[in-house]
Amino acid sequence: MVVQNIKLALGSMKGGKMRTVLSLLGIIIGVASVVTILTLGNSASGSITSSITSSGYDLIYLSPMSGTKTRETFDEFFAEKLRKNVDGIGQVMPTVSSSANLRNGSITTRTSIVGVNSNYASMVDYNESYGKWFGVEDNIFKRQVVVLGSDVAEKLFPGGNAVGNYITIYRDQGKKYLVVAVMEEKDASLGSSFNSTVYIPYNTYTQRFQRVSGVGTYVIKVAENHDPKVVNNDAQKYLDELVGSDNYMMISSASLAEMVSSVTGTLSVFLAAIGGISLLVGGIGIMNIMLVSVAERTKEIGIRKALGASPRVIRGQFLTEAITLTSFGGVVGIALGIGLSKMVANIAGWGFSVSVDACLLSVGFSMAIGIFFGMYPAAKAAKMDPIDSLNYE
Amino acid sequence: MNKIDWEEVARRIDARTLPIIYMHDVHRYYIVGDIVVKALDGVSVKIYKGDFTAIMGPSGSGKSTLMNLVGCLDTPTSGKILIDGEDTRGLNETELAYIRNRKIGFVFQQFNLLGKINALENVMTPLLYCGGISLRERRERAEQALEKVGLADRMKHLPNELSGGQKQRVAIARALVTRPSIILADEPTGALDTKTGEQIMELFYSLNSEGNTIVVVTHNDEIGNACPNQIRIRDGKREA
Repeated sequence: MVVQNIKLALGSMKGGKMRTVLSLLGIIIGVASVVTILTLGNSASGSITSSITSSGYDLIYLSPMSGTKTRETFDEFFAEKLRKNVDGIGQVMPTVSSSANLRNGSITTRTSIVGVNSNYASMVDYNESYGKWFGVEDNIFKRQVVVLGSDVAEKLFPGGNAVGNYITIYRDQGKKYLVVAVMEEKDASLGSSFNSTVYIPYNTYTQRFQRVSGVGTYVIKVAENHDPKVVNNDAQKYLDELVGSDNYMMISSASLAEMVSSVTGTLSVFLAAIGGISLLVGGIGIMNIMLVSVAERTKEIGIRKALGASPRVIRGQFLTEAITLTSFGGVVGIALGIGLSKMVANIAGWGFSVSVDACLLSVGFSMAIGIFFGMYPAAKAAKMDPIDSLNYE
Repeated sequence: MNKIDWEEVARRIDARTLPIIYMHDVHRYYIVGDIVVKALDGVSVKIYKGDFTAIMGPSGSGKSTLMNLVGCLDTPTSGKILIDGEDTRGLNETELAYIRNRKIGFVFQQFNLLGKINALENVMTPLLYCGGISLRERRERAEQALEKVGLADRMKHLPNELSGGQKQRVAIARALVTRPSIILADEPTGALDTKTGEQIMELFYSLNSEGNTIVVVTHNDEIGNACPNQIRIRDGKREA
């Protein structure tokens, strides 16, 4: 009986192709937009999250607010203090930065220059392309060595090998620095644009560049087996007490990723709600077309009743037709939505992953719309008087 | 001496004495605005198994109302109706549909075939509503019914590819396929030319000779008088 009803439904859909498509437009657009939104939401937040966490999900960046006295608190003993007072902190590395002019022969450029320790590269998961990151002794002896980000190297040494050559870094007066390494390309993350930065040993920096003592930014690595979010919150609590919440700035991949995902999550829900509304409107379209269909087929209903179809059977026939119709719309909408989001993802350069949840949700929802909005027309058909409907012309 | 099968005897007596259609003092009133229309006003009818009966009367006489009541499309305002022993009084839509499906085979003036499906599928439709009959059996029984009305070579045709006479044969096959107690034909020749009409009546005679109970509703005296039994209705009452 169900098979028969689906056959009948498909037959009547084929009978009025144009009408079927037009009446399904609402459902198709609704489903397509829900699928597109949720799929793109997935892809976009996935790509944003991956760029946030590219330098490591377990990193927290801490810096004093400029113009506050925090800088005094963040002295050379602060790293150790922090590690003692906040559970779950693995390493704390002070960094200092500013910008400077660089020159190689006749080529000059302005970049940011960062003073870091010898284990910075391994801490933020940053790899050499050529050469080797400076060692502990370079830092201790305040040697004038420099590591170039890939863009800087390309700019100062176009097409050539930078390692082993000297560049001049200007700060009041120029000093020559030996290039010891050129780094691989790395996506910018949490305000560090790796490729256009040069790195020198921390102590070299403080001797050559720093007028006031104090650390620019601490890079904090969360110890293994600790949740970065928890450590982040604990550190925040500690710092709030120590210097006051307005006097420092702390960002972490974990908290940022969480924020982004909550924003995109809210956005997804909002947009999916719009999709839902258009599905609802589509459902009303279905009800309309089913009412027309029932009215048009009054005679058929009369004949079927005379042949012994019970009200339940007639209701089943028209309900099946409505569900078949909306499910068809759902499937077309999903295909359209996937195509659309693939297109957008390609253009935007996001990774593309179909939201299976969205597809199931859409089909389920469109079937539910079929049932809900098909119920009334089907009941109307079932209730028709057999004699009146037989005599209907 | 053979043993007497008393159950069989009782069944044979029943078949002779219990009418397949039994109507006693049936009234059917309609209320139109403030007026009560007495479409049937105390009609009693008995039709037995194997009868070939014409229900005759001019238009507006109440014969259509009578047909609707016999066909379980309608229930009486008062009075008693038994169809093959089943009391139709107080039955709901579903129960009436069940009786229509099992006991009545309708043949209409305008054929009333379903236009989008072919002859075979039309004939299979009532079997679908019986429930529990496999597709294969539905198909076989429909094919047999179509063979019986002489349309074995037109099974795959859509109704609009058939002539009027052929359509009516499909409709008769559809009525026969459930092996109903009664075949109820409402002006079966009304939409056909005289010659085709005669052929359709011939088909009814031959079906009757095979034991089918046939009731033809008509306003055409020629058709009605040719039937073995007549019931004449006028102004909602039976004429003597």
